[in-house]
Amino acid sequence: MMHKKAHDDLSKYVMCDRCNSLYRKVQLPAGKRARCKKCGAILYRYDPAYLDRALALALSGIIFFVLANLFPLIRVGLWGKEHTLTLFSAISVLEGGGFYIVAIGVTLLVLVIPLLVIVDYAVLILLLKLGKRPEMARRLLVSLSHLIPWSMVDIFTVSVLIALVKLSGKVTIHFGVAFWALVIYAGIDLYLTRARRIGTLWEIYERRYHGQ
Amino acid sequence: MASESVSSHLIRCPVCEAVNVDTGDNVRCRRCGTHIPHPRQSYIRTWALLLTAMILWVPANLFPILRIHTIMGHVDNTVVGGVIALWDDGSYLIALVILVASVIIPILKFIVLLYLLINSRFPVRHRRHVRHRLYTLIEIIGAWSMVDIFVVTALSGMVTFDTFQIVAGTGATAYVLMVFFTLAAALVFDPRLIARHYRTQKPYRHRKASDHGIG
Repeated sequence: MMHKKAHDDLSKYVMCDRCNSLYRKVQLPAGKRARCKKCGAILYRYDPAYLDRALALALSGIIFFVLANLFPLIRVGLWGKEHTLTLFSAISVLEGGGFYIVAIGVTLLVLVIPLLVIVDYAVLILLLKLGKRPEMARRLLVSLSHLIPWSMVDIFTVSVLIALVKLSGKVTIHFGVAFWALVIYAGIDLYLTRARRIGTLWEIYERRYHGQ
Repeated sequence: MASESVSSHLIRCPVCEAVNVDTGDNVRCRRCGTHIPHPRQSYIRTWALLLTAMILWVPANLFPILRIHTIMGHVDNTVVGGVIALWDDGSYLIALVILVASVIIPILKFIVLLYLLINSRFPVRHRRHVRHRLYTLIEIIGAWSMVDIFVVTALSGMVTFDTFQIVAGTGATAYVLMVFFTLAAALVFDPRLIARHYRTQKPYRHRKASDHGIG
């Protein structure tokens, strides 16, 4: 275990995630961000309202995610007959056709992991705001960074649009309410997990529980 | 400030991005407590996952990923066949998107990871920043290869008419596993294998077995 002095010294540094250049952190004014001199990647930012915004977004994200899975995404029609696409029906068609591995993969990437990510995020932000249960917050943060690379709702949303282009002219297409919920959820997910880095949350965690 | 001599002894935690002192074996992140294994473990694991992915790439591209049933019979589409069909339909933009996501990205990932792995054994001194950028690039774009699987999922979920039906093809299973293994290979790859201070060390195979961590 390293002693307190060395720990404090190291937390003054930041390493660019694109090119590994090392920088010493400075205090930024609110709303500003620091960029890497070599490659232009964002190193860190100071965003004092982030927790409030993230909590609001994560909670609405959960609502939109539930809506996106309860209602039909797309309705297609051919000669008077109509079929609806929901996430569950698509997965059960795959499973019924014997494509178990594909069905398990899609279930995990589009259903289970995104749900875990958004619930994990919401609980984590609540804990950070209340400043309670540091050990649980640490565990949630660690699992969040393992889950995020496997959450693919954004890619799934684009794929549904590509599938519709493939079908255009062959069947009639109506967008369901769940499709728009999915688009909004994907936007929230992109903002929380891709536009903002996990390191930002760790810094808030350090300030909350270790008083830095 | 940003000096090479300092950064060669420090590593960024892959989980929480905190800067840590690199002692080689048994680094435990000071902030999140994650155990960061020695790069030699990452080296061999990345090879294993990458080779698995490359083997799976063959059936994924050889077998049809999609089967379209119409009253005239059925048509099988492979990954490349699907791109050609879209191009013939006149959807040039979508054809390009699928071409990049399902054909070019997996091959690019194979080439970049092979290059980075071979380079860590037979080092070239220059262009380290280019290699870092290449690694970041394949990490960011890698997941988009899944587009084809999700398109198949959406199509087979929607088009279930008696006279017009789309189902997944045998290649879909191989394809989904191929993408999974390429993603895992890129995640397991340790960026320290790119850095200079590991290149001057002995090749990992000459190290004694006792150097290995277990598990």
